[in-house]
Amino acid sequence: MTDLSAFSNDGLVDALLMEVAGMLGRLIDRGETATIDLRGLPLSPACISDLEKRLGHGEISVQLDAAGRSEIHETSFPGVWWTRHCDEAGRLIALLIEVATVPDILRADPSDLADGLQRLAGATHFASHQHARHA
Amino acid sequence: MTLLDFARGIGLQVAVLIMIAGLFWRAAGVFLLRRRSQHSLARTSLIGRIAGGATMIFSRSIPRRTFWPRIGVSVALSTIFHVGFFAIIFGGAPHILIIHELTGLSWPNLPKGLVVIISGLTLAAMIAMLIRRIFHPVMRLLSTADDYLTWLFVFLPVLSGILLSGETVAGYETLLALHILSVELMMVWLPFGKLMHGMLVFASRGAMGFNFARKGAAT
Amino acid sequence: MDEPETLGSVLKRRGFSRRSLLKFAIAMTSSLALPPSIAPLMAANLARAKRRSVIWLSFQECTGCLETLLRSSSPTIDSLIFDFISLDYQESLMAAAGTAAERTLREAVAANKGEYLLAIDGSIPTKDGGVYSLTGGRSNFDMLMEFAADAKAVLAIGTCAAYGGIPKAHPNPTGAVGVEDLVTNKPIVNIPGCPPVPEVLSGVLVHFVSFGKLPELDDRKRPLAYFGTTIHDQCYRRPFYDQGKFAKSFDDEGARQGWCLFELGCKGPITHNACASLKWNGGTSFPIESGHGCIGCSEPDFWDKGSFYTSLAGGSVAGWRNAGIAAAVGIAGGAAAALTARRKPHAEKAERDPDKPKPKTADAGSAGDVPAKPKDAGASSVDAAQATPKDADASSADAAPAKPKDADASSADAAPPNRDKQP
Repeated sequence: MTDLSAFSNDGLVDALLMEVAGMLGRLIDRGETATIDLRGLPLSPACISDLEKRLGHGEISVQLDAAGRSEIHETSFPGVWWTRHCDEAGRLIALLIEVATVPDILRADPSDLADGLQRLAGATHFASHQHARHA
Repeated sequence: MTLLDFARGIGLQVAVLIMIAGLFWRAAGVFLLRRRSQHSLARTSLIGRIAGGATMIFSRSIPRRTFWPRIGVSVALSTIFHVGFFAIIFGGAPHILIIHELTGLSWPNLPKGLVVIISGLTLAAMIAMLIRRIFHPVMRLLSTADDYLTWLFVFLPVLSGILLSGETVAGYETLLALHILSVELMMVWLPFGKLMHGMLVFASRGAMGFNFARKGAAT
Repeated sequence: MDEPETLGSVLKRRGFSRRSLLKFAIAMTSSLALPPSIAPLMAANLARAKRRSVIWLSFQECTGCLETLLRSSSPTIDSLIFDFISLDYQESLMAAAGTAAERTLREAVAANKGEYLLAIDGSIPTKDGGVYSLTGGRSNFDMLMEFAADAKAVLAIGTCAAYGGIPKAHPNPTGAVGVEDLVTNKPIVNIPGCPPVPEVLSGVLVHFVSFGKLPELDDRKRPLAYFGTTIHDQCYRRPFYDQGKFAKSFDDEGARQGWCLFELGCKGPITHNACASLKWNGGTSFPIESGHGCIGCSEPDFWDKGSFYTSLAGGSVAGWRNAGIAAAVGIAGGAAAALTARRKPHAEKAERDPDKPKPKTADAGSAGDVPAKPKDAGASSVDAAQATPKDADASSADAAPAKPKDADASSADAAPPNRDKQP
């Protein structure tokens, strides 16, 4: 079977890189974040890997385990992130280029914070209670 | 039933049957006419006469040098149209497919882009011919409804075909339905109007060449 | 009474963080072709979402739609949402005793009157009072009309529910129809496909739960996000179509090279669905990628559009027998016309065609009947030319140039320009 994944369209990759440049400009000027949904574009697998190669790898790689594994890494361009979300069965559910200082999903959600504090308070209360008992 | 279902189904069947009936009607109507009896001796053998008929079919396509200044343009346009039209029919992949479905024959197709370019040239030639027919005083005088209708029924398939290959003007399904319907319209018209020259030209030129050869005249 | 539970609290209880909900929302916006920036809003709305009821009824179906949509071994947010928003599937209802299940269903409908979504899979038989598909003795038709009356909207899952599907194929012995043929006063969303792509249902339900309304629909009531393009437009083999590289049979070199399947009957160009991009079995494959042309399963009447293996360029052929009959009719007509022409009175014909020798009639003596082809080439041109004109006036000076039958080559002027002569 012909490897159609080898069919790459340089023009499209160039155009996307230009769009990312524009997005980065707006992030710098106005602090605006933006996202490109790569699965919404007619990209062949070769185009996508081409794009990933040209964006490269930066300093940060994040592995996120929330309802399945996700992998987020900063590209060689700071502020430009390559995000790959998979579900519990390992199937790809989203592929994004995010332009932000930090992708939204990496930030802890306020309600999760509150939840964690509750649990932490409960745990420390228990611990200090134990401590008090054995003191 | 959608328009496309009709076009590919009952429409196609009926159009083909009408065309077959009409072609045989015209052919029988011509070939069963009384022929003038020849009382002189034939100047060439039977083979020579048949060869003469075959030769004239082609030689008549090239006008005499005398007439080129007057008819050169229309001959050029007509050639572009006819060559283009048959290149589309016999070189376009979907058309070869239909022929294969009907007869089992098949051959390599022309690249799609090339067929599109040829279609454009064919359309241009047709429009130019129509303009000539309307504005040239003699042509206008000679033209009848038959001529204009025949032009239209050939123009529509070529136009709808090129639009279908582009797939942008309307949805694929609509364009395909319109294209097939326009071809069916042409098929139904074929035996009954000027389009019939497509088959009769071979008969008339062939017969003429046969008789000329019989008389020893040049073909 | 307790504050109605939200989806957010259900997820939290099950150990799903807000982060996972956001991730789910990102996936959904991608699936629904919404801008990715809307994901946080969707996540927030989902977290706040109260239980919505979805009543699922299965009619004249093969259960393929349910199998596709609900067979999920691992608990994903998808399935949680189904569980959360679904009042009940009819299967689980039927797990209880017959009448008890019926009562539960009625109570649920009464409690959520006007607010629940009615999901239907399978077609509805209408012939003979709909006796061909009964549940607990009640016809599908009756059940549909009863439950649709108080529903907020109806989701027709699968081609059978949407358009009639397989049961409706000719000759349609049960009188099967789709939901939209029977329910005319409620919003309907068709999610066709045989079976439909699972993500489409998730997307529609999530959209409904997040934003309180159904997604935008096309003219066949299908969600535009999933049915807005044809398979042809999304197909990875499209470059081959454009280049004119077609597989001619299922095992030829072209097929092995993965060329376009148009000539093998692919209905991709006229079929709207998302399977070319979303695929089946979690993105594993779809028919064309597996080497078989699209059969158009998300379009109405796809079973009655001729062979799956006849290309869109081809159609139904009339058959040699019919062609023969047409030819015979043509010959008969043409022969009749020709014979009528042949039998026209000879005098009438002779009058129109003076050149033609008259056949032998009763009076053969008149001078005007002399045949026009004198074999005596030596005769003076004057005499020869005299033979042809109709009138008895034989003045050769006038008559000479007219007819080329004069074998005397001296009257070069008289003869019309021979084709071989140059001016």
